[in-house]
Amino acid sequence: MSTESSSAILRNQVDLLDFIDWTGVECLNQNTSHPFTNAVKQGYREDEGLNLESDADEQLLIYIPFTQVIKLHSIVIKGPEEEGPQTVKLYTNKEHMGFSNVSDFPPSDTLVLSPENLKGKPIILKYVKFQNVRSLTIFIEDNQSGSDITKVQKMILQGTTVETTDMKGLKKIEDH
Amino acid sequence: MTGGAFICVSRIYNRIKSKQLSSRARKLQIPPSSSKYNHSSDFSRFLLQPSTMVLEATMICIDNSEWMRNGDYSPTRFQAQADAVNLICGAKTQSNPENTVGVLTMAGKGVRVLVTPTSDLGKILACMHGLEIGGEMNLAAGIQVAQLALKHRQNKKQQQRIIVFAGGPVKYDKKVLEMIGKKLKKNSVALDVVNFGEEDEAKAEKLEALVAAVNNNDSSHIVHVPAGSNALSDVLLSTPIFTGDGEGGSGFAAAAAAAAAGGVSGFDFGVDPNLDPELALALRVSMEEERARQEAAAKKAADDSSKQDKEGESTSQDATMSENVGTSASESENKKDDLMDDENALLQQALAMSMDDPAATVTTRDTDMSEAATDDQDLALALQLSVQEGSKDQSGQAEMDKLLADQSFVSSILASLPGVDPNDPSVKDLLASMQNQPERDG
Repeated sequence: MSTESSSAILRNQVDLLDFIDWTGVECLNQNTSHPFTNAVKQGYREDEGLNLESDADEQLLIYIPFTQVIKLHSIVIKGPEEEGPQTVKLYTNKEHMGFSNVSDFPPSDTLVLSPENLKGKPIILKYVKFQNVRSLTIFIEDNQSGSDITKVQKMILQGTTVETTDMKGLKKIEDH
Repeated sequence: MTGGAFICVSRIYNRIKSKQLSSRARKLQIPPSSSKYNHSSDFSRFLLQPSTMVLEATMICIDNSEWMRNGDYSPTRFQAQADAVNLICGAKTQSNPENTVGVLTMAGKGVRVLVTPTSDLGKILACMHGLEIGGEMNLAAGIQVAQLALKHRQNKKQQQRIIVFAGGPVKYDKKVLEMIGKKLKKNSVALDVVNFGEEDEAKAEKLEALVAAVNNNDSSHIVHVPAGSNALSDVLLSTPIFTGDGEGGSGFAAAAAAAAAGGVSGFDFGVDPNLDPELALALRVSMEEERARQEAAAKKAADDSSKQDKEGESTSQDATMSENVGTSASESENKKDDLMDDENALLQQALAMSMDDPAATVTTRDTDMSEAATDDQDLALALQLSVQEGSKDQSGQAEMDKLLADQSFVSSILASLPGVDPNDPSVKDLLASMQNQPERDG
């Protein structure tokens, strides 16, 4: 049921997986035996057994650069009920971010995940704040139960690319 | 005719060349399975296998506190430390060309960054000169500044690493250090600690706790270096700080460690593999070939002697045993020798062909051709072409002879020639002699 409603909302949005610049992706505080690829890369993220896990404490900081400018519409974060992330802050176009300076910038959006969201319900973002995204920093502040390890099973970013929309507009003008 | 033979020779020569090359390549694949410490095999591993090539940005924290004036490490603690830093910088920048190294001092008037991470070895070494000793080491501040320097590295793909030289006493609490350690771990920074100089139980314990807090997947290490006759840098060479996380570590480190362990006289053939790796490798290869040759010769001798023994009906157990050992040990070498024999035979065959009289070897050529056709089609084609050429020449000659034998034909030709009388006695004599000639030949 939830998938039907989400697909209705997302009919113009695509999975932004193909536009991620993998060489620049950085994840701080990940457990190296449970890296971020487990949650973000195609194939790995579909596997429930493969998680992204935090290491020293419950926080995670994921920096994702894109190969072109995108508009971010919604995000899906799947995780276990107990150790799934709760407070997630998103920052756009902030390079060189570390845990020490997350509070220096106001987040573009702050999400509080419900158990429903953790089962795969997309979270619609403040779309106006994500119109010109070259890189996205996802800061997972805490998890549902307050335990030391946060686990993320799957992460999907949905939106559109700015370039492709421009191209479509250009073609229409030529047609008329 | 000779052209065809030349093609054969060059073809065969090329094949032999390629076979030799491939057998040479096989010889070079030395299995890296020898677990026993053997620096010559370590060296070959460094030559033949690409090292893990860790891409790293490193900050080195130097202790320049008053405690470094002590002379218990030769020549002084500070100089020993400087030597070790130089060596580490060399190893790091050599293991990957994109590696960067920076240096900061922890004592004096507060923490001072001498060089931000750079791949320019000259810059790093230059900053080590004219450093002033003074004050107390501030470990916590040093590590945190180093972390900040690493965080703003240019190349985000580089792993982050801090190497701390802790010579003076550590004034911070274990708890504080553990907290800093956790922070490093969270920011995925690895930490290596060289504990030397001042010794008290609490210091070693504190540093151990710090490294334990940072450690993730065994990427962080601590080394305790007691004062002694060994230079600080020599002791560090064989530690994971130098050899890195990967098996065998960087080539530079492995070779340097081998050199240090074996001493100057430890080099194979008296050639320093660092100075001339190609020469060292060539020497090794020729040594191996010679060994294989000697083994083959020894085996042959053993075979002969055992044969003689059998003939003389005196069975010596020792001889058969040594023969068996020789067989098992040099089995692979024998295979190679067989190959070489094969090649020699081919080469001699080619030489014989090029030197033999073409007409005389037509029959032998045919058998050669059928042999060659089984393993080289190009070669067979070339042979066939050259043989056909030869037989054509011969058949032409035979036809000529036949024509000359036909007297009426010859006389009719002579009659048609202007100024020649077929009835002239001298011409008749000539014709008669020509008729007799083919008969004699046949």
